[in-house]
Order: sequence, then structure tokens, then C-alpha cells
Amino acid sequence: MAEAFAALLERLRPEFEALIAQYERKRSALLPIVHVFQEHQGFVSADAVNATSEMLEITPAEVEAVVSFYTLLYRRPVGKYMLQVCRGLACAINGAEDIMAYFREKLGVGHLQTTPDGLFSYEEVECLAACDRATCMEVNLEFVYDLTPQKIDEMLAAMRAGAYPVEPMAQTLTPGPTWAVVAEAEIAKGRKSPGAVAVESPNNPGGLGDASGTIMLDHLINRDVYMFGRTTERAVVDSRAVVETIEERTNRAGH
Amino acid sequence: MPVTKVLTAGIGEADLRDIGVYRERGGYKQWERAVRELRPSDVLELAEKSGLRGRGGAAFPTGKKWSFLPADKYPRYLICNCDEAEPGTFKDHMLLEEAPHLVLEGMLLGAYGIACHHAYIYIRGEFKRGYEIFSTALDEARRAGLFGSKIFGSDYDLDITVQRGAGAYICGEETGLINSLEGKRGEPRLKPPFPAVEGLYGMPTVVNNVETLAYLVPILERGSEWFSAAGTERSKGYKIVSVSGHVRNPGNYEMPLGTTVREIIDIAGGLRPGRTFMAVQPGGGSSACIFDEHLDWPYDYESMTKAGSMLGSGGFVVFDDTTDFVNAAYNLVRFFAHESCGQCTPCREGSSWMERVLERLVHHRGIPGDYDMLLRVSRSITGLNLCALGDSIEPFLKSVMLRFPDAFKSRIAETVAR
Repeated sequence: MAEAFAALLERLRPEFEALIAQYERKRSALLPIVHVFQEHQGFVSADAVNATSEMLEITPAEVEAVVSFYTLLYRRPVGKYMLQVCRGLACAINGAEDIMAYFREKLGVGHLQTTPDGLFSYEEVECLAACDRATCMEVNLEFVYDLTPQKIDEMLAAMRAGAYPVEPMAQTLTPGPTWAVVAEAEIAKGRKSPGAVAVESPNNPGGLGDASGTIMLDHLINRDVYMFGRTTERAVVDSRAVVETIEERTNRAGH
Repeated sequence: MPVTKVLTAGIGEADLRDIGVYRERGGYKQWERAVRELRPSDVLELAEKSGLRGRGGAAFPTGKKWSFLPADKYPRYLICNCDEAEPGTFKDHMLLEEAPHLVLEGMLLGAYGIACHHAYIYIRGEFKRGYEIFSTALDEARRAGLFGSKIFGSDYDLDITVQRGAGAYICGEETGLINSLEGKRGEPRLKPPFPAVEGLYGMPTVVNNVETLAYLVPILERGSEWFSAAGTERSKGYKIVSVSGHVRNPGNYEMPLGTTVREIIDIAGGLRPGRTFMAVQPGGGSSACIFDEHLDWPYDYESMTKAGSMLGSGGFVVFDDTTDFVNAAYNLVRFFAHESCGQCTPCREGSSWMERVLERLVHHRGIPGDYDMLLRVSRSITGLNLCALGDSIEPFLKSVMLRFPDAFKSRIAETVAR
């Protein structure tokens, strides 16, 4: 991999130099460069981040910070066909829910997930600016309009047979079940602050700086009863003890 | 019918992507005339006199925006904002793909109007096809000598760079866009200083929408009086309205400002048979709904503001009686929660809390007090953020909550009954 990346970088270097030359400041070439890396590698690899940081003379952390901001830059490998179905309002009132349910059923995976064979990645995305032809989607960033179940069946069959007119994405590594890392999967759902939400472990509900979870737990327990529904649901997954504590304290609080 | 094809003229009839076809139809004539015969200040004056206002959503007078550039600070930049992502808006997408040379000519004129030597166009990452089409058009124009150094033998130089976004609604906000173009996270900046004073690379910058710049071409061709003769007293000229939702023929329709809301619905084929009109969201996802009583109101900036909404980007979404407004509100709040950049606490936290409250209403699991809480939280987000995204969460939600309170409250009552 390392060897192959060095070769790729050498091959692409003239293109990168041309990109950088377009701008008055080097750093402006960041997005164009990572777009090119993603085109060739299928995602923005750690190697790509390092190489970009060297070319632009900024730190890898700065590159990473930018890459993680944008939803079209994938930080883990994805399927050969990135299926991005529009869930925007104009599509939603024209049947997007049904279309998305159909996709999920046919693919056997949900939002932000990749099929086990590594062929499809599926994402429900915000308004794609094609509301006159709802419901719509993009396949590897090429638009498909006026979706119907029949159209979806034909599309998926063609992709499986390798006969779909849109080029598959480069795939240099086998994709995992999702391309969004744990915290990012939550962020992609709109949960920006790991401190308030996106709590995976009830023992660390407060996120950073609250490893024992006591701050958040106390906070939750002293709240109105409607908070408990969610907390209990989450807690059940990992720890019965926490549930019991919550219930005990709830009863004591007289709810 | 008041449909008037100005920018949309020829779209669907001729292949305007072909530079030859575009030039046969008079393309790039205004650009050549501007460089040969006009001074930048003449172009500025035309823009100012025409009454053209920003078509991206903020409706700021274009000429005035240009005139804010300090006279002694160089270089200065023009950025064409093609990061169209406002829910329900799809006009720039069409212009970019169907009339790339018109977009480019508008950009050239804009750049000349502010006398800058480097202009950028920021294209939404999802518009890969549009990016390719525009890049081809740009190459053709460059080869034809339409821009570069010493354009048409004058001493005016202009370079143009295309930047592709990577999926972030917030990059449509002008300072977010500038940060993104600088290779940073697309987080909006604190204003002032406004981009006109400190924009790209800290230099004076004008950010104009695609449609705004494209209108410069017909304005130069037919004069500012022609443009300002159309429209209403303070909303001059034409506008591409993106009509979608529950109408029979959704699409982009260009018309003079001041066309009534009812006429716009009729232009798009009216409602589907047997359906009743419920509401229109007249200016993209950030605007409040307007209702029956506004059907005969003119569609212009002032009237829409008076109706409690805004004309915004011209994304005109029609809702009939099949609409579940709780789901619709959830959909838009989820959108804003997803797209909040996370810099400002009220927007970041408020949007995601509201999303979750609405989510439970959608699933009929509302809690008593949710209705008031939603209104309270949305009110407390507004006005407390660096950019307008946070302020955009409230209008639609509030307008439908006040109009259809039972739709929301019934989702709460069911929980209690169970």
C-alpha cells in the first residue's frame, strides 16, 4: 500500500502542481487536491492527508479538520457505487420516504452503510437541487431523476452486472460496514456535539472530560421525566446497573 | 401568462453549451462591447440603475454591494456563488448545466464591473456534471481569447478559477464560502468586516449569485431601463422561480417580480386534480409558509416580507392537503441540524434538540409541553448566531405550528391517551 501510494503520488504530482498554481495562496488547493486523491483511492486516506499537508505546508491535523467538515469527502473506504438519495422536503412530499424504504429493503443496509460485498454505499442526503424531478438521487455524483421502484430494480441489477453507465468508484481497500467513524456517524445525522448527544456508552454519557459519566447522569436524573425514556433506552444496551440506578432514583424522586 | 424568458431563453431549444451556438445567438457580444467601449464604472452604473438585487436570497442591491469596495485596496476579487443548496431551489443548477456560457459571461461582466483581475466560481460538490460542463465552457472561452491577458487588445487582464465544493450547505453563506475557498472549514466569519472590505485572502471581495451575475448580460444588452421597467416599485426586473412540490408541472419559470402567487401556481400547471391548496413556502427552506390569504399577493421582495415570509432564493414549494406538516417541519429542522456548522452554540444545540423533539412528534410520542417548548427554543436560537442559518430554522416551523396547531398537538395527545 505504502509503495503503491508513493507511485500514485508521483504520477499525480504534476496535476497537483497545476492545481496549486491556480491560486494566490497554496492552501486554497486543499479541496481540489483531496478530490483528486478520492477519485483515485475511493476515499481520503491517511497517506493522502499527509501528502496534502506536505504539499500545502500545513499540518496533517489542519487537513484532517477540513476533510472532516465536508460530507462528500469519505475518510474510510466506500462501496463502488455511492447511492445518495435525496431526503429534502420537496422530494419527501413526493414519495421519498417510500423510495428510501425501498432502497433499504433492496440493499439490506441503512443510512450511511455499505453492503457486505462492498458494492453499494447508501446515504440519505439533503436537498440535491433537482426538486422539479423529485424524487431524485445521485450515483457517484451523477444525477438520476424521477425514481420509481422499477427504475431502482433496473439500476441495481445493472450495477451488479457491471453494466451501469456510471463509472464505479475506485476501490483501493475493502470497505467496512460504514465509512463514517463512530463519532462521525452521529455527526452525519446532525448531532454536532458529542458532549450533549451521541452517547455510545452510558458510562461516558458526558463525553470528553466526563469519563465516569456522573456529571451527565446526575444531570439527567434531576430532569423532567421525559428525559428518562431516551436515557433508559440507551442505557439498556450497555448496562443494567445504570438503568437500575436511574429507576431507583426516579422512584425516589416520586415520578 | 407572465412567463418571460430572459436567462432561460433558448434553454431546451438550442444547445447553449456549445460556444458556437451561444455566440450565434448574440453571446459574448456584451462582454466584448464592455471591454472595448465601456469603463468598469459604466457597468457598475448600469447594474445600479437597473435596480438588480441579489438573487441568491439576501436581495441586496447588486450595484450597492459593488460600490462598498474600498477604492485603494488591491487586489480585489469576484466570487460567483454556485453553491446552490437551499431546499427547494434548483435554478443555478439549471443555468450551470444548460447555459454555462451565459453564467461565464455574467461573471466576466461582474469582474469587469468591479475591475478585478481574478474571479472564482464556487460550484456545489454535488454538481459534478455541472462542474464538468462549466469547465469545458471555460476552456472553450479561454481558447477563443475571451479572457486571459490583454483581453480584446485592451490592457485588461482577467483570470478565472473554478472551485468545487465538497458537500456543505453552509458554504453558500458568503463568508463560509470564502473560508472554504481558502482551503479551510466552511465556517462563516464574524461580520463586520464584511467581505467587501476583508474577504478572500483578507482583500476586498464581492460574492454574487449565479443568477444575479447572469442578469448583467441582458441588462447590458437592453439597458437598465428595460430591466427596471419590469417588476414592482422596489423589486425590479425578472426572477427565475423554482416551483416544486404539489404542482402538476414543477420546474424553473422566469417571470417579472410581482407576478401573483396564484399565477405562479397556475404557471406550474396548478394543483393535482381533486387536491386543496394548503400552503406555499415561497423562498426556499429558510422561509416561512404563506397561506390562502396570500394567494393574490404579488411575488416580490416587499410583499413576501410583509406576508411574514421572504422571497429568498425563489425556491417555491407548494403543499396540498396530502402534506403532513409535522413531518415537513421535522424534515426541515433535521436539514438545519445536519447543516449547522457547529460554531455557534444556539444553532448547533438548538437545532439538534428541536430535531429530536420533532422526531418524537413524528412518531406520535410527544410529551405535554412540546408544542410550547418548540416555539420557545426556536425563538431563542434566532438572532444569536454568526450567520443566518440559525435564524432560518424558526420561520417555517413557526408558521406551520401557528397555522396548524392541532396537527402538532394531536401528536402529543395520543401519547397521553395511551
